[in-house]
Amino acid sequence: MNARAGRFRTFYLSLFFVALYVPVLSVILYSFNESSSTAHWAGFTLNWYRQLFNDRVIAEAFKISIQVAVLTSVLSAIIGTATAIIAMYVTKKMKKAINGIMLLPLLVPEVALGISLLIFFSALKLPFGHLTLVLSHSLFCVPYVYIMVQLRLNDIDFSILEAAKDLGAARWQIIRTIILPLVAPSILTASLLALAISLDDVIISTYMSGAASTTLPVHVFSMMRVGVTPKVNALCTLILVGTFFIVGLGQLINKKANKKEAF
Amino acid sequence: MQEPLLKLININKYYGDSHILKDISLDINDGEFLTLLGPSGCGKTTLLRCIAGLVSIESGDILLRGESIKDLPANKRNVNTVFQNYALFPHLNVYDNVAYGPRIRKSMNETKLKRRVAEVLEMVQMSGYEERRPHQLSGGQMQRVAIARALINEPDILLLDEPLGALDLKLRKYMQTELAQLQKQTGTTFVYVTHDQEEALNMSDRIVVIHEGRILQSGSPREVYNNPRNLFIANFIGDRNIIKVKVLEKGDEYSRIRLGNHELYIRCSGNAECAGDMAVLAIHMDKMRISCNEMPNSLTGEVLSIHYAGSQIRTEVSVDGKKITVIEYRNSDCDYEAGDHVTITWEDSGAILLPMEDFEENGI
Repeated sequence: MNARAGRFRTFYLSLFFVALYVPVLSVILYSFNESSSTAHWAGFTLNWYRQLFNDRVIAEAFKISIQVAVLTSVLSAIIGTATAIIAMYVTKKMKKAINGIMLLPLLVPEVALGISLLIFFSALKLPFGHLTLVLSHSLFCVPYVYIMVQLRLNDIDFSILEAAKDLGAARWQIIRTIILPLVAPSILTASLLALAISLDDVIISTYMSGAASTTLPVHVFSMMRVGVTPKVNALCTLILVGTFFIVGLGQLINKKANKKEAF
Repeated sequence: MQEPLLKLININKYYGDSHILKDISLDINDGEFLTLLGPSGCGKTTLLRCIAGLVSIESGDILLRGESIKDLPANKRNVNTVFQNYALFPHLNVYDNVAYGPRIRKSMNETKLKRRVAEVLEMVQMSGYEERRPHQLSGGQMQRVAIARALINEPDILLLDEPLGALDLKLRKYMQTELAQLQKQTGTTFVYVTHDQEEALNMSDRIVVIHEGRILQSGSPREVYNNPRNLFIANFIGDRNIIKVKVLEKGDEYSRIRLGNHELYIRCSGNAECAGDMAVLAIHMDKMRISCNEMPNSLTGEVLSIHYAGSQIRTEVSVDGKKITVIEYRNSDCDYEAGDHVTITWEDSGAILLPMEDFEENGI
């Protein structure tokens, strides 16, 4: 009975992972397909990658994506961390309010969020481009940083902070010498996550992109309108690898930090 | 009379509706090892945190060398705390942990700092561990580093909050001796919080017994041990037989009492009136002896049971229907078995007569 249950579990899990990853694998596979149609396999080629690297528009979109993602990750790291630390020092009621406000952007549907931001920035007469992209991306990246930093902060033994105070440290000195070093790994991991999220975003970016500031995912989306070419497959493969790399790096940092400092 | 180093004046502290510290007044002298002793929840740790500045007080005042420090935040007070769970900074090594205070206060240059860190680590026997991180240390070692980290600041008072609570018994005993030595060596005033009466008796120059937010008694270990002011202290410190007795005749120092068929002369607690009809007789179990011969001022009874527990022999004797426990560390002058009739005597300092007032609430 147990063996059967075990076999069923294995089967079920295998099915699940196949369903999840076969489409992804097929994108990678077809990015190396000689034929421009996905109907059949015509042999291995790096042609599509060559075409990709020669595409000026894609290169420009990639550059913009990276710029926006880096700025977003820095901005959300600062705002998210600062808010999480401030939330430590306020009343319970206030902390609950801050928590609510911080998590709200994750609950609002992106389509609605995009339209609201569009109207808001138009009213402010902000030109659509890097600035609006960074601001709007930060809006939904900050919560991730906030949550991850807060999780780490909750792990800090409160008496450590009291000890620092007892030894003569004022609040800002405690933050600089104790709190920030202890949460640094989480800030780094969260920034990498923000980087990945910003690089991937399509919906908000569609609203926010100016004529001269199309991000890579938005460009991919527009490429799709003329049909899936193997070039898109190649691009998706690269984005996939890049994202995995960033997220994996974040996990690695977190794991290492956890091992080093058991509170 | 020398001016006390720290003066606590009518301190009151509330947490919500509960009154934690009730009108606490206490003088702490320069260079003494003072222990705040009490059961958990009595307010002793809160009192310590009030002195440290980690919690505020509702009324009263705290004077350090004659100046009020009531409104100074913890980081501006020249007192340091050794926390129960050590509270070392996990991201800093031993050297940086110890150097934290002087660096934050910018009180020394790096050369002097290096020398001082080496000195205090030597003092707590942790030289050579400078590069270790806290998680690479044992509990006892972390405790030493925590003490070094506090002592390097040369505080007016070192506050210790049950610092040995997390250590095992053997290490605890060893650290007791060491802490007492360290205190004499540095001449720093120690205020030590514990619920362990043995720790308090072993180390302190003076013990302050706290119960339900009030100071019940303050005195030398010998005084508190032999002359408890009331039943709570008698019951809390040392193992005692506690028996309700009838007072026949009240004397200045000794009163004549009746316990069953026995008439005894027992010393009265210092200030308490042992008048009234009834009083409480409290006798240290380990200051009693069992004898087969008749003795003056003694009790006779029937042996109920004898337990051998390592170095001590625990004998239970029924005296006029009341069970009395005697703890001896060597065999009695005579052999006896359960059912034999024996005489129980005691050292004079081991027995005391206390007022009845809180007999019921102590639940005896």
